[in-house]
Amino acid sequence: MSAVPVTRGRSRIRPGALGLNLLTYVVAFLVFFPILWTVLTAFKTEADAAAQPPIFIFHATLANFHAVWNSNYTSYFENSALLAFGSTVVALLVGLPAAYSLAFYPSSKYTPKVLSWVLSTKMLPVVGALIPFIVIYKRVGLYDSRIGMILLYAALNLPLVIWMMRSFFADLPREILEAAEVDGAGFLRVMTRIVLPLTAPGLAATVLLSVIFSWNEFLLAVNLTAANSGTLPVFISGFMTSEGLFWAKMSAASTLAVAPVILAGWLAQRSLVRGLTFGAVK
Amino acid sequence: MTESSASITRPAPQIAAPRASFLRSKRFASIALLVPGIAYLVVMTQAPFVLTLWYSFHQWILTSPDIPHKWVGLDNFRYSLTEDPIFRTAIWNTLGFTTAIVGGSLVLGLGFALLLNRTFPLRGVARSLMIAPFFVMPTVNAVVQKNLFLNPIFGLVNWVWTSLGFQRVDWLAVHPKLSIIAMATWQWAPFMMLILLAGLQGISDEVREAARVDGAGPFVEFRRITLPLLGPYIELAVLLGMIYILQLFAEIFVATQGGPGTETTTIPYYVYQTISQANDVGTASAQGVLAIIFSSIIAALLLRLLMRTFRRELTA
Repeated sequence: MSAVPVTRGRSRIRPGALGLNLLTYVVAFLVFFPILWTVLTAFKTEADAAAQPPIFIFHATLANFHAVWNSNYTSYFENSALLAFGSTVVALLVGLPAAYSLAFYPSSKYTPKVLSWVLSTKMLPVVGALIPFIVIYKRVGLYDSRIGMILLYAALNLPLVIWMMRSFFADLPREILEAAEVDGAGFLRVMTRIVLPLTAPGLAATVLLSVIFSWNEFLLAVNLTAANSGTLPVFISGFMTSEGLFWAKMSAASTLAVAPVILAGWLAQRSLVRGLTFGAVK
Repeated sequence: MTESSASITRPAPQIAAPRASFLRSKRFASIALLVPGIAYLVVMTQAPFVLTLWYSFHQWILTSPDIPHKWVGLDNFRYSLTEDPIFRTAIWNTLGFTTAIVGGSLVLGLGFALLLNRTFPLRGVARSLMIAPFFVMPTVNAVVQKNLFLNPIFGLVNWVWTSLGFQRVDWLAVHPKLSIIAMATWQWAPFMMLILLAGLQGISDEVREAARVDGAGPFVEFRRITLPLLGPYIELAVLLGMIYILQLFAEIFVATQGGPGTETTTIPYYVYQTISQANDVGTASAQGVLAIIFSSIIAALLLRLLMRTFRRELTA
């Protein structure tokens, strides 16, 4: 390693920069504060939670988490996890081959058309497709079923999987793939031995984003689920009428629902922009 | 297995039937891999749109078998657009919310992005804290803001507000629109920030240095260099934001139930009310079709933008 320090003209800290740094810290704290406040409230007693003026220093208790975890909350949590991961698996099963095809066998005539159509399915409002699902799911017994919701959420995340993974696949050097094909490796072999290991970070980010979107989805969940396949957003929305009575428990339930997703989001940070803009920004 | 045996027993290729060679061709592989995904999307997203359109021409109340299920042509559309005052309110509310939330979160997000686009200690931590709201479940956002923050008596906002010497305000009752806009803007500002930050990082230091050498102050630099170069990113952020925010539902459902009155009723919320409370398949479908038509205009613009960047990538 060279010992020569890399000096730039503006590396000395000026007072203006210091002020901006402080401002950034204050803004970051304020932006995050509602989440912090919810987590703090989750550790309060109900009396402390509704205290006026608000209490910032208090005796922490785990009672709310115990109460929430011992209620029917767990079955909603289970449904949420099952639907989020189940739908992601289905979306990957049909989406990865499609992404592979679009990335490695591109046709200047059809590929843009197919990709633009795939994207358009993500852009139309979900309410436009909601009514037939209510009617048909009720008729064929998929209403309030986990499998019905998994199939539906997979469709919502499929465009994301196709677009994101195509963009990661297309970044791979073409020679690697050609060498494998010359060796006579089939699709499954190339995919599992070469392509997926090389794009693992991208795949992880895609999975996380897909899980997050399913986990937070509400419109379809509230219309198509009930006691059997209800998800966390539906459970949480049940607190909307609790007029100041169960704030600590509400906060504990909210913390448990939000924490895994925020952690997953932080893990996916690097590829987040690519996912959110369908590969337009890298 | 079939693959390997085929390659062993394969006769001279020129003798093979054209059909068999097609099955082994790249063209066939590319289609075979693509078809399941496309078929899935057609069945789960396109067929429902067609059905929604079909339902929208019918009179059909799910729970009332005595009201005949029959073809009524464009009646549901005529009713929604000309006779139903709530649907018109919902259109205006949806447009108003979308404009305010996209605008608000764009301005805030740009501010956040400018703050983060510098080198300073703990930059990663600040960035992580600032994107966190985007991951928060919308129903959690609404239920927490409604109670912990906006409750007229015990809420944190009124505590700050009265500490500043103002009168207590029942925010959700008196300023329902503003409350919803504030909640959603908090969620979407990080989204805008992420896209704009990526744009800012793409502006080379040389360009900035050149502007500074020419004597440009920070404001001139921002107006003449940063904003123009950010243009495509702003366009992308606005269009994507609009697509998502037009569908605003959870916050309304939890925090205001469309009220007071119809003050915060948006198109998605009104469709929900029509189908789940009135069980009116025909009218709800017509509303859904109209929602699709409104969104398609924005979707078309966004698609053109995204495909432009995609084509550039193909030719690069």
